[in-house]
Amino acid sequence: MQYERHQAWSVLLRLFHWSFVLSIVVLVTTGLYIHFPWTNTMVIGISAFPVATMRYIHFIAGFVFTAALLVRLYLLIFGNKQERFWDFLPITPRNIRNLFRTLGRYLYLNVRHEHRLGHNALAGIAYLVTFLVAAVQVASGFFMLYPESVFWQKWGVLFFASQQQGRGIHYLIMWYFFIFAAIHIYIVVWNDIFSKNGIISAIFSGGKFIHEDY
Amino acid sequence: MSRQVVNQGKNTQVSRRSFIKGCTMAAAALGLSDTMVPKLVEAATSAQRPPVVWLHFQECTGCTESLLRASHPDIGRLILDIISLDYHETVMAPSGYQAEKSLTDALEKYEGKFICVVEGAIPTKDGGIYCKIGDRTAMEILADVGPKAAAVIAIGTCAAFGGIQAADPNPTGAVGVSKLLKGTPIINIPGCPPNPICFLGTVLHYLTFKRLPRTDQLGRPLFAYGRKNHDQCERRAHFDEGRFVEQFGDDAHRQGYCLYKVGCKGPQTYANCPVARFNDVDVWPVSAGHGCVGCTEPDFWDTMTPFYERLPGVTIPGGGAGIVDAATSKGKIILGAAAGAVGLHAAAGIGKKIFGNKSEE
Ligand code: HEM
Ligand code: SF4
Repeated sequence: MQYERHQAWSVLLRLFHWSFVLSIVVLVTTGLYIHFPWTNTMVIGISAFPVATMRYIHFIAGFVFTAALLVRLYLLIFGNKQERFWDFLPITPRNIRNLFRTLGRYLYLNVRHEHRLGHNALAGIAYLVTFLVAAVQVASGFFMLYPESVFWQKWGVLFFASQQQGRGIHYLIMWYFFIFAAIHIYIVVWNDIFSKNGIISAIFSGGKFIHEDY
Repeated sequence: MSRQVVNQGKNTQVSRRSFIKGCTMAAAALGLSDTMVPKLVEAATSAQRPPVVWLHFQECTGCTESLLRASHPDIGRLILDIISLDYHETVMAPSGYQAEKSLTDALEKYEGKFICVVEGAIPTKDGGIYCKIGDRTAMEILADVGPKAAAVIAIGTCAAFGGIQAADPNPTGAVGVSKLLKGTPIINIPGCPPNPICFLGTVLHYLTFKRLPRTDQLGRPLFAYGRKNHDQCERRAHFDEGRFVEQFGDDAHRQGYCLYKVGCKGPQTYANCPVARFNDVDVWPVSAGHGCVGCTEPDFWDTMTPFYERLPGVTIPGGGAGIVDAATSKGKIILGAAAGAVGLHAAAGIGKKIFGNKSEE
């Protein structure tokens, strides 16, 4: 079997991916701390600002997360072929067929593997959902960050009704990212083992190995 | 209480000193400079006192009580001095037919000019029959009085957003004024009860500038509800430095640390409590060692509870019966169904044996 290396992901997409990953790790860690500040400073007079510092880091990571999301939005429309949304959403006959093939493959039904340079359609759906959930997270985050801003209040109250509900949703969505990360990493490793396209190294190098009669 | 007794027999007029003091407090709450105080005083002492019709619907009268009977008689009386209360069920002398007549008289005489204050929510279910006054439903009264008013002030969380009777499952379909009344300017002064200063400030603003103060998205005046309690709290330094009460009565609680971890809703609540404070003794819940419960926010009975936890809890499974009882009753159905299935299977087997053998014979 002959495999050929093809360029799949642009530099900008890889930058998006890793800033998204890093910001999520930081946001979840600091977010959990904001949710339950487990350290308890019992001494007065020492200049420790654990909560203020954690919130500060959370907000900066929040901006990185938002910027990454905006970059991905741009790439969804103006990126290379694999990065555009119609390449991986089940809106074309090719992708709908691919969705069922992928499902079959993950159920070990021995479906023939379709070599694709980009995402498969199942991953496409998962990424779309993640994209939308991330957008809600950004909206609730900025609603809390700028409580006195007319703009954020207007949209925040419209979407979340109150700070309390915005906060509750913000907290719940954190668990979505835990679950997403677990499944994402499992599936990626599984594919790396069974598909031989080298998809893990692709997110570092940008290149994927595709069967020659692809 | 003792104050009430002390005040008895005194001149019920407000002295000039406390009059100006009240106006100054209102100016401070409004965020106006002290050069504006004379203007407020002038507006408040002008000959034309705005006629006010005060409607009571589904409520506990707590808003009126806190306004008139609390330890700040000056502000209460100042309000009564500034406005001309033509109809107020709690404090008016007439009752029955006379009371209703004073309402119709006021509506006729001041149409388009009076301020309508609403206290309490309005039930809408089953034609609104859950609150009736003088044989008319609250919905009818509001639809009659509201459009004739120059402006409506919804005082308290019930009138503003529905309050406790609108809490899930809202058996009477209670709503706030702004859900029913369109076309008349409405301002919401939520709180359970709201600070009288917020009401006084709104009235004085209206008198001085001839319009209602600027509001936020939810119709609350920005001068009082423009900032979160958490961002004005005296315990905020403890929050930033990570000094928290873990349990009521613990050492940290006695030290006056931040109440975040025991459910303070200050970070989610827009109000001026830490600044305006209550009852002439300068307190608000947090200064007394209890977290904010978020009473100025819409649906706070549903979204801010449990009060001693930061975010709404997960409902206990079992529909309120408790998990053991709920599991027992479900278990009976499951075991019953299993017994039924076994029975059916056995009956079919026996039947087959009997009838099957017969047919074989
Ligand atoms: C993956 C993304 C994110 C996760 C997992 C996350 C997680 C969390 C968590 C768990 C909390 C504590 C909620 C609570 O229990 O009260 C929180 C608070 C907060 N987050 Fe995020 N967050 C994310 C993104 C963002 C973004 C994009 C922003 C926008 C800048 C943001 C701004 C905030 C703010 C302002 C708070 C409230 C902090 C406070 O005032 O104490 N977050 N976040
Ligand atoms: S006591 Fe409440 S309002 Fe005050 S700083 Fe702590 S959380 Fe914020």
